[in-house]
Amino acid sequence: MTSRALPALALAIGAVLALTACGAGSRTDNENATKVSCSYKAPAEKTTVNVLAYNSSAIDPFTDTMIKSCTTDKVTLKHDPIDFGGQVTKTTATLAGDTGTYDILETYGFVIPGFAADKKLVPLNDLYDKYAADYGLDKISESMRAGMSYDGQLYAIPMQAQMYVMAYRTDIFKELGLEAPKTFDDMIAAAEKIKAAGKMQYPVALPWLATADVATSYGAAMNSLGADFATADGKVTLNTPEAKQALESLLALKPYMDPQVTTFDQPKVQQQLFNGTAAMAIMFSGRMIDLTKPENTKLSADFGFAGAPKLTADAKYSYNRLSIDGWSIPFNTKLDHDMLFQMMASAVSEDASKAAVPAAYPAREGMVTAKNSPYGEAANDSMASAMPPIVSPVLADVTNAIRPTLVDVLNGKISVDEGLAKMQAAGEQAAG
Amino acid sequence: MKAREFWLLFFPSLVVMGGLLVLPLLRTIQWSLEEVHYGTPGTFVGLQNFVAALTDARFGRAALFTVVVTVITTIILLVLGYIVATGINRLTTSRPLVLGIMLVSYVLPNLVGAVAFSWLFDDNFGGVMNRLIGFFSGTQVLWFTDQVPNAVLVIANTVWHMLPFAMLIILAGLQGVPAELREAATIDGANAWQTHLSVIIPTIRGVLGFVTLITIMDVLRMFDNLIPLSPQAASIGNESIMMYVYSVAFADGAQKLGLGSAINVLTIILILVMLVPFIRGIFKEAKAER
Amino acid sequence: MTLPDLDLSTRAVTTGRPAVRGRAGTRPRRPVITGILLAILCVVVLSPFIWMTLSVTKPTDVAFANPPVLGGYEPTLKAFVDLWETTYFADYLVNTIVVAVVSTVIALAIGIPAAYALSRYPSYVSALLLVLALIFRALPRFAVVLPMYDISRALGIYDTTFALAIALVAINQPFTIWLLRNFFADIPRELDEAAMIDGCTRIGMLRRVMIPLMGPGILTAGIFVFLFAFQEYLTALVLTDTSSKTVPVFIATQLGQTLPMLQQAGAASMLLTIPVFVIAFIAQKYLVAGLSDGAVKG
Repeated sequence: MTSRALPALALAIGAVLALTACGAGSRTDNENATKVSCSYKAPAEKTTVNVLAYNSSAIDPFTDTMIKSCTTDKVTLKHDPIDFGGQVTKTTATLAGDTGTYDILETYGFVIPGFAADKKLVPLNDLYDKYAADYGLDKISESMRAGMSYDGQLYAIPMQAQMYVMAYRTDIFKELGLEAPKTFDDMIAAAEKIKAAGKMQYPVALPWLATADVATSYGAAMNSLGADFATADGKVTLNTPEAKQALESLLALKPYMDPQVTTFDQPKVQQQLFNGTAAMAIMFSGRMIDLTKPENTKLSADFGFAGAPKLTADAKYSYNRLSIDGWSIPFNTKLDHDMLFQMMASAVSEDASKAAVPAAYPAREGMVTAKNSPYGEAANDSMASAMPPIVSPVLADVTNAIRPTLVDVLNGKISVDEGLAKMQAAGEQAAG
Repeated sequence: MKAREFWLLFFPSLVVMGGLLVLPLLRTIQWSLEEVHYGTPGTFVGLQNFVAALTDARFGRAALFTVVVTVITTIILLVLGYIVATGINRLTTSRPLVLGIMLVSYVLPNLVGAVAFSWLFDDNFGGVMNRLIGFFSGTQVLWFTDQVPNAVLVIANTVWHMLPFAMLIILAGLQGVPAELREAATIDGANAWQTHLSVIIPTIRGVLGFVTLITIMDVLRMFDNLIPLSPQAASIGNESIMMYVYSVAFADGAQKLGLGSAINVLTIILILVMLVPFIRGIFKEAKAER
Repeated sequence: MTLPDLDLSTRAVTTGRPAVRGRAGTRPRRPVITGILLAILCVVVLSPFIWMTLSVTKPTDVAFANPPVLGGYEPTLKAFVDLWETTYFADYLVNTIVVAVVSTVIALAIGIPAAYALSRYPSYVSALLLVLALIFRALPRFAVVLPMYDISRALGIYDTTFALAIALVAINQPFTIWLLRNFFADIPRELDEAAMIDGCTRIGMLRRVMIPLMGPGILTAGIFVFLFAFQEYLTALVLTDTSSKTVPVFIATQLGQTLPMLQQAGAASMLLTIPVFVIAFIAQKYLVAGLSDGAVKG
């Protein structure tokens, strides 16, 4: 008897859940997306445009605007949800052969030089000049366009900028009489006080995912000291005092972070803040708006934002990475480049960019202020104190090569000096 | 049966298997001897890939991890499967219910089960198990960054996934143990423990051998469950052989397809070597039957 | 062991009533301790699903809270609604089911004749078959799937449900044939001859006599092939991209997403688990027959 009842029950539950399927399809009810004009010459036959872009509160407004505005009866824009790691894998896969799956790629400043040098992306200068007036593209900040160019050619239309922003618990800081940290030492002092007050065991959280983010953090630390993994002409600089100091600064923070911090990507760092297990976090600005939404956490009113801190009081720049996100056309797409460019341009038009605030920091001049975004002031401060990114096609490969050793050093498996030597060797081999 | 009829009936299956199993295998062997990328013909490099694979520390770690997990999982499955099968053998009316519940973890896609499993151990998702462990022992186990706890987690998940299979087969085998044999043992004064050890287990050793064989084969190829359970597999030395092949031959744009293929070939050899005793046993039995 | 015998012993496994009648008048004690221990085991086995169900029916702000929140919230199906409406989950589910069904149909269509043909050969063929089936099953799947990736891209069938289905047919063929052959071997050859005396061709006889007789065996093999295709992740990961993505692949791409999307991934997992639960109950008998058949007959 019971053996019949259980499957029947399960089927009933399944039916109820399937009923939620009424409405199956693709609804994009993103409050930061809007419908803009997206006119292009459509091909004669039915076409699908595959868009590769990871999901985050900052990227989604632009993706959703593109999908909403440019889909017609004949032309469907398709965007599969995917996490950041998946986007990285799929980007490499789709650019590897003569035919690819995707027609529009979300790219960012860090990977542009490498792809451009390998001729994997379509140069956009001509298309840009053609359509700049129609879509107001000249209002996009000049420096951001430079950040997405290589060798004089533009390879992606900038949609937004992301920089490190610090998020912290204003209630705890107020209670303990602390101010927003301006240096790593301030962070350590604040963490000590929070620990002593018994509030949290590991008050600091940074995205140090061993397969990706951790290298960005190390790069940001070196940037604070005015250096990077390599120079613009490809010389690997991991045997410098800056490299050592940056690594030691990161190690100094480690005791104040969860022991499993090398499994934290940015969503997990957000989770740490949501659960009240961390009081300070430094992440890309695109992840900040989630912290203020009541549907994500009961602590949504307790988060404050500050510009990224410096490594030391006399450091030239802040612990920061300026990343520009944009849209690119892969070299192996079979669709008309004109059409694709117009779709991408419409997604970064003025109306689209305005709607994206405060979830994102659009690439257009002066869009984000302290008034229209809870973290606007912090973001602007961060932008001002960030080191201008070094453009070199070897940086991506060097980063991949040194990452495993970096994780070993941070996990205490090898010493700093040994780690630096290994990383220098690996970096030189990768730079070729 | 006439030969013509035989080939007519067998032909479609042969074509499919030949074209989609044998040919790709030959291709893998070919690639293992080349330096090659997808879509472009490769250049012959002889045994270079094999040398690279065998001297690669990462491959050594992956092979060690895979074999250790396989051995431990097989032992646990045999013991636990036997105990649970014996227990279920005592039930009558509630048996279909229990069997049905136990089958769920086997029938579900391995990846989905592993995701659900991982949420219990991750503090970012509530970490229910961590709470329980902390409550009972006061220690904090780092399931995802320490090598041994992570290996334990992977073994636990694999056992959870394959226990229904082991248990079902052993249960079927237990049906074949004649009641008279058990009674004879009781009459001879054997207690339960001795009955199991000396009477029942030897009787079902064929079944136990089968479970061992299939478990070894399946766990050696583990891949799906490592994705959610061991996101940092490479850095803590908990990669499985298949994960290593994936990252080398597919994930990063297949820079090293030749190397990946060489590792595939080495794994095939490893598996064949482990299967030899079983294959000999099967042929011996077939001969005896004749 | 003949087919009716196997059926009896399968029933013995699933119901506990002995295949061979035991001595009259012996009634075993109700196994209380065993029952309690098994109940605990069942709860432990189901615990990941129980936790996931709880997590995906909680509002997002308490779903992954630590310490875990076990009450005091209003359960919601928002994750399921969002999953259906904002992702292409319907497509993924359809892909998964289509691949599984097509695999099963093709696998049986080519496997049944092959298994029958092989069953009419002497037993050393059976041993050889078993060895081959084991070897092919034991192969590291990448050794086969990576060349399939290359071939499918070259042929232009990459990222289609058909390519994935046929790949799965091939990968599972050795096991399918071996399983079916064992069932066929139980049907005595005299039956073949008797049917053919009436003027039936071999193939006609296969269709009209053998297959109806083999009903349970075919169903068993069909369920296994369906399950193998349904559970597949590795092959789907390599051979699909956007058009033919299956649900396990989708779930894997969501592991690094933010809270609301993680809940949707959990919801997708639950939507897979429920039909599987139903299958596990209804098809118990066939799963047992297939699994135990291999073990007992070896």
